[in-house]
Amino acid sequence: MSDFLYPFLDAAERDADPLLADLARSAVAKSDNSHMLRATTLERAEGRLHALAAAMAERFEAGGRLFTFGNGGSSTDSSSLAALFARPPWGRPLPARCLVDDPAVLTALANDVGFELVFSRQLIAHATDGDIAIGLSTSGGSANVLRALTEARARGLVTAGLSGYGGGEMARHPDVQHRLVVESDSVHRIQETQAALAFALWTAVQVVLDEADRG
Amino acid sequence: VGGIDADAGGDLARAALALARRFAAGGTMWCVAPAWPEHARHVAVEFVHPVIVGARALPAVSVEDADPIGRLRSLVRAGDVLVAVSGGDDPIVVDLLLRAEAWGLMTVWIGAGARPVPGGADHVLWTDTESGAAAHDGTVVLRYHVLWELTHVCFEHPGLLAEPAADEACAPRDSGCITCADEGHLAEVVVLAGKGEAQVRTARGSETVDTSVVGALHPGDLVLVHGGSAIAVVGAERDGDAG
Repeated sequence: MSDFLYPFLDAAERDADPLLADLARSAVAKSDNSHMLRATTLERAEGRLHALAAAMAERFEAGGRLFTFGNGGSSTDSSSLAALFARPPWGRPLPARCLVDDPAVLTALANDVGFELVFSRQLIAHATDGDIAIGLSTSGGSANVLRALTEARARGLVTAGLSGYGGGEMARHPDVQHRLVVESDSVHRIQETQAALAFALWTAVQVVLDEADRG
Repeated sequence: VGGIDADAGGDLARAALALARRFAAGGTMWCVAPAWPEHARHVAVEFVHPVIVGARALPAVSVEDADPIGRLRSLVRAGDVLVAVSGGDDPIVVDLLLRAEAWGLMTVWIGAGARPVPGGADHVLWTDTESGAAAHDGTVVLRYHVLWELTHVCFEHPGLLAEPAADEACAPRDSGCITCADEGHLAEVVVLAGKGEAQVRTARGSETVDTSVVGALHPGDLVLVHGGSAIAVVGAERDGDAG
């Protein structure tokens, strides 16, 4: 079948060594690209990152909680972000939860009110005006993420969005107070860099809280 | 920090080709990450629903269970792949990767921090970066993203996707391999089959073995089988001389 679709492919190819050498070089190049993108993104985002960290630290100190959400790979990255705050490798644990983690709630909402509302409806049930909402979307256009950020803003939460592709709709959305953008059009490199942003954000929040403790 | 150097790139390349071969032969990828379940999900969704339009959807499953061994035992088939994402000392993962040999699985271990003991998996994709940071700052994610990207490049080389000859396919770990070294092979006890015998599961199927040398066994025990007899009980903490 692949011969028909891709007649240029060589079905008689037998020596794997040239391919393995190409793949190894490609792996190193992708890693280098990812690290360059991380470095430039973190540098450009530094001011916005610290503004968000300060706002979050203030909320956490007053008893606020963090809600995170996203779709697909961004759902797992939002899980990772919540886990980092709630069960950190070091530093203080802070109340954070990902709205993707319960399939019963997710499928109930998707089935009954539609997928666009799966996160916003959970915020209606759980969030109060001292809380924080962070949405992740590589395209910046995920309807359910934007809908939840709008709901969060209306309820007085601090709202933040992480997106790629130059930011998408999320970067222009009036309900997203804090916008962290990765300038790339590779979903993989965007997600790796969003994780780096998330880790830098977590580190900054820990630092702000430590400084507040020392008075 | 946490980048992929030439050695790590070579590890990824070999893992990707081996993985593509297993997929081409009909294998399923099972993903487990007890401490970081989000990574198991991310690996699975990457392969099942590719971000690049036109890339083929491949069978990958994330398993989240307090007892992933019990969950996987009935699901996995010989020829499948187990991908674990964890630190090098996660006891469930260490046990699972060992057991995977008896289940006939190819194993890929992605992780960070202190390196696992050599031979812990067929393919070890590691970064020495501290694991608490690496799990959350994109360092671990980069590794399985690149694994996915390289695996799909392999599909453009159909001539290389046929399973290699047995001597090449067989990567004996410290228990040895019956097809290339007459030392014994790993088996998992399925059920005790009467006095002095047990039915066991191996990479090659099911067989009944004599257990008089090793004494009392329980279902789930791992044993080394040689010439139709269980000659040693194997634990996750198995040391080098057990094989």
